[in-house]
Amino acid sequence: MPVADQGRRFERLAQGMDDMREYERIAGFLQIARRALANNAFDGVLTMIGVLMGNYLGGVRSAVTVIRIGIATSISIGVSGLWGAYLAESAERGRELAELEKISLTDLSDTKIGRASRVAVVVVSLVDGLSPLVSSMIVLLPFFFVPLIGSIILGYVLSLAVALVGLFGLGMFLGRISGRGLVGYGWRTVVAGIVAIVINALLPLD
Amino acid sequence: MGNLRRLVLDVLKPLDPSIVTLVQLLADLKGVDGVNISIYEIDRRVENAKITVEGHDLRYDEIVAVIGENGGSVHSIDEVAAGKVLIEDVVTPQD
Repeated sequence: MPVADQGRRFERLAQGMDDMREYERIAGFLQIARRALANNAFDGVLTMIGVLMGNYLGGVRSAVTVIRIGIATSISIGVSGLWGAYLAESAERGRELAELEKISLTDLSDTKIGRASRVAVVVVSLVDGLSPLVSSMIVLLPFFFVPLIGSIILGYVLSLAVALVGLFGLGMFLGRISGRGLVGYGWRTVVAGIVAIVINALLPLD
Repeated sequence: MGNLRRLVLDVLKPLDPSIVTLVQLLADLKGVDGVNISIYEIDRRVENAKITVEGHDLRYDEIVAVIGENGGSVHSIDEVAAGKVLIEDVVTPQD
């Protein structure tokens, strides 16, 4: 690739980054996206703990079945996050923009403010949709290696372990945001996972 | 046509983007030597700003476009000056 082309591409990238920073300053979507990331990833992991416990207690001993149910659940919570966030965020941002347009008696849709509002909707929706999808798929990962591990029960154990480690990581992320103890927050989220596992195990459904 | 040297605009703009951003964007325009923005009224979401732009060859359309792009609307043009030298408003006995 010619040097001039590379330079132009770099310039465009830098301009794009500058624009995003400006949109974030105007629309302030980073904080909302961060909250959505933690909340929905947490939802994704806990949902997957439910799926795993349901499969295990329901006597499912086929890795393919667990993967199929897990992926279907992941996609559903991903779509739910994306759709819900898009509808809620676009309604909220649209109302804010309309209010500002009414005060300033100006059409703001084709200004930096209008664009920042639209970018905020896209970013928050994507984070809302992708975070539960990715987090739940990570929990499911050990089942892809069941043929190598050789035991479906070990697959369940490893998946639950990944889920608890994931919850600990999410807790640490929240601890970092709050500026308090990382480990303390980590354990708090792990307890939520353990509670879900124990309640599922103790349910007298058989 | 004589070159535009000074422009004083009364603008209503949202609080974001801030006047710090706006003043720099205006100062970057071709033909502009300096810009001053002062706020004389502030509301919950919007503010009224007096924007003074001086230069050797101001482009009115470009200045208004930058203000518009940042969500502002020009309510009135309060002062203009053009020509080889900058002429200040003259105080007369009637004033």
